[in-house]
Amino acid sequence: MKMDVVISGVGGQGNIFASLVISQYAMNKKLNVLGAETIGAAQRGGAVVSHIRISDGEIYSPLVSRGQADLLIGMEYVEMLRHMRLLNPKGMYLLNAMKIPTVLNNMALDEYPSTEEILRAIKKYGPKGYVIEASALAKKLGNIQMTNVVMLGALTKAMSFFDYNEMKWLVSANSPTRFKEANVMGFEEGYKLIN
Amino acid sequence: MKEKRYVMGNTAIARGALEAGVRVVAGYPGTPATEIVDECLGVPGVHVEWANNEKVAFELCTGASLCNVRAMPVMKHNGTNYVTDFLMHVNFTGIRAGLVLISADDPGGLSSQNEEDTRILVHQYAHLPIFDPCSPTEAKAMIKEAFDLSEKTELVFCLRPVTRVCHARGIIEFDDLPKDLPPAHYEPDRDRFIMSAVELPQFGGLKRPQIRHRWLNEKQPLLQKIMEESPYNWIEKGEGKIGLVGCGMGYTWTKEAEHFMDTRLPLLKLGTLPLPRKKILDFVKGLDKLIIFEETEPFVENLIKMIFQEEKIGIEVLGRSGFLPSDGELNVQVILDAVQKAAPSVNISRPEAPSLDVHIPIRTRTQCVGCNYRGILNALKQTVRKHKGIVAGDIGCHDAGSFRPLELQSTIYCMGSSIPMASGMVLSGVNRPVFTFIGDSTFYHNGILGLINAANNKINVNVILGENTVTAMTGFQPHPGTGVTLAGEKTNPVNVPKLAESMGVSYRVVNPYDIKQCREALEAAVKEEGPSLIVSSMPCYLLSTRQGKKVFEPREVKVNADRCNGCMICINDFGCPAISIDKAAKKISIDPMICVGCGLCVDVCQRGAIA
Repeated sequence: MKMDVVISGVGGQGNIFASLVISQYAMNKKLNVLGAETIGAAQRGGAVVSHIRISDGEIYSPLVSRGQADLLIGMEYVEMLRHMRLLNPKGMYLLNAMKIPTVLNNMALDEYPSTEEILRAIKKYGPKGYVIEASALAKKLGNIQMTNVVMLGALTKAMSFFDYNEMKWLVSANSPTRFKEANVMGFEEGYKLIN
Repeated sequence: MKEKRYVMGNTAIARGALEAGVRVVAGYPGTPATEIVDECLGVPGVHVEWANNEKVAFELCTGASLCNVRAMPVMKHNGTNYVTDFLMHVNFTGIRAGLVLISADDPGGLSSQNEEDTRILVHQYAHLPIFDPCSPTEAKAMIKEAFDLSEKTELVFCLRPVTRVCHARGIIEFDDLPKDLPPAHYEPDRDRFIMSAVELPQFGGLKRPQIRHRWLNEKQPLLQKIMEESPYNWIEKGEGKIGLVGCGMGYTWTKEAEHFMDTRLPLLKLGTLPLPRKKILDFVKGLDKLIIFEETEPFVENLIKMIFQEEKIGIEVLGRSGFLPSDGELNVQVILDAVQKAAPSVNISRPEAPSLDVHIPIRTRTQCVGCNYRGILNALKQTVRKHKGIVAGDIGCHDAGSFRPLELQSTIYCMGSSIPMASGMVLSGVNRPVFTFIGDSTFYHNGILGLINAANNKINVNVILGENTVTAMTGFQPHPGTGVTLAGEKTNPVNVPKLAESMGVSYRVVNPYDIKQCREALEAAVKEEGPSLIVSSMPCYLLSTRQGKKVFEPREVKVNADRCNGCMICINDFGCPAISIDKAAKKISIDPMICVGCGLCVDVCQRGAIA
């Protein structure tokens, strides 16, 4: 088997944490894992993308090639679009319904596409997937920074590859002590987002 | 059983060095190499530090090596450029205990001011050996061997990982760390370690630099022999008369590309410099054509062409000198394109990925929401506009002030170049006030030299020092102004006002969250003759928040829509990501999800529309 995953978002959304949980999950299943992350030079506000390559055979490149991802996790609308072409059109996506405008959008020098335009483009591309209100739920639960664990919960429900208890344990194990309880709750609530 | 962990390439390199018994590690932060230094921390008996620049780090490590202790200077390519002067001496003297230079390259300039290939500098120019890893696992094996070989050959060895090795993650085996390392000891050897134009009677009066050059040249056959037998070069058999050569990450991309090709072409994997000449000659027997994949310059390509010329081999050699793109990172698509062009008989099945029918806005970098730089940059923007000033920028978080919307700094080159460049602008007679913006880490790196020069030559330049007390851009590494070492020991932070006093430079310390105070200080500096220093002093907001400290009292900021006339000053002269304009309504709004309540925008708005 092989599963190639791409997670794209904006700095500060907890992209790397999510990628570590998924990688460790695969590693615990005795699968081969390689990954890479691209972070801009700025600490916050820049685009961040993680690649995770999981296989029971040998893997060479730490990056997912065009059209090869089985799963694309978008933590923000246009950041998911930016990496859409890495996704196999028959693959799956999980998108957080969150728009973070760019500096040029703020200046009205560039246009952020409408939700309709975005969803139409995704549909035309072909993948199955879910758009979930992860950031809104995280904010309701007390901290928007829990977006990543909410999404991991939803992912666990959406893909049978992931085991609920094991993923929950990894979320807890990777969280700093003071966030453990909240992150586990975020994961559980995220799991309920998908029917 | 050996422990296995899923870690970054940089962690693998650090672990390899520790397993090899490294005792002194020094570097200057720079993506993609930064984490190598951080990850060496915490082993008893191993000194790990952030030096104020790469040259200091390299020289310090050489001192340790001469005392028979293994050492590792860590830097990105720009740092290697900066250490060139020292490199061109230590290559002649050689070293004692293993000394491995980490020179990380960033093909594509993903997190850099430029793109370059330090293999040329280290191998072609300094004649030193290099390992070019294809993965985190190989990088770890290579660094361990590099320490041994460095000692055996008495030469500095270099590991040249690229971003996709440094920032890749993989499952790495952790071996035990060595115990009971031999103590340091020093014996002088002035024939080797004094580089000076001394006449040497035993060499017929020739001068020492020539004799040391000869010594280095005479090491080359030994290096050749070592690389000929190296486990990092190998041949993979295939069909046909077109051979592929993958150097470092070039090999990795090629192996990935093989998945999409119906024919397995012969493949030579290379990971060392000097090249394994015999292995190359073996590989090319019966081939018509070679395609060489390397990051980034046609370096191995040219070396192979040279070997072919000497051996009178007529095989066509294709690579980065025109056949492949001559700039940027390799990837699977580039390799498949090249194979398709050079070997049309190979069938390539590319995965489907239709283009998207939607506009995707680009996301440029900016300062963090709440960053104090936004206050001083706004004050500078106003001052520059009023006086038709010019701003020379430097490396650091403030560099985003040169992009839209602010478009403030008009030059950015390399570490510390801002003050000398600004000085030259003043001396040109351009007759406009000239400012420089430099962060404190860059100032201690070598920017301070420009200020000393400006002071000594009475150059009328206005220097703004962004003193956020940490190297913020690369992830909060301490520097000489922080007051704490990497290992957490308290030290004496440099006192900038006293420094300025000693140079006779007038200085003003301002709070960047007080735009009015910043403007007044800038105004006074413009009116003053001679060099002026404005110390914009406030700890980094992001780091302070993580440490649970407050650099401002967060407040709720609201827009009074009746007063807002859509003038966009708060956007164009300030550029906080939380503020946006509705063009149709001619009103701004502040996104409460993004705003952290620094309140700077309240002072930016001239109409009192933000409160």
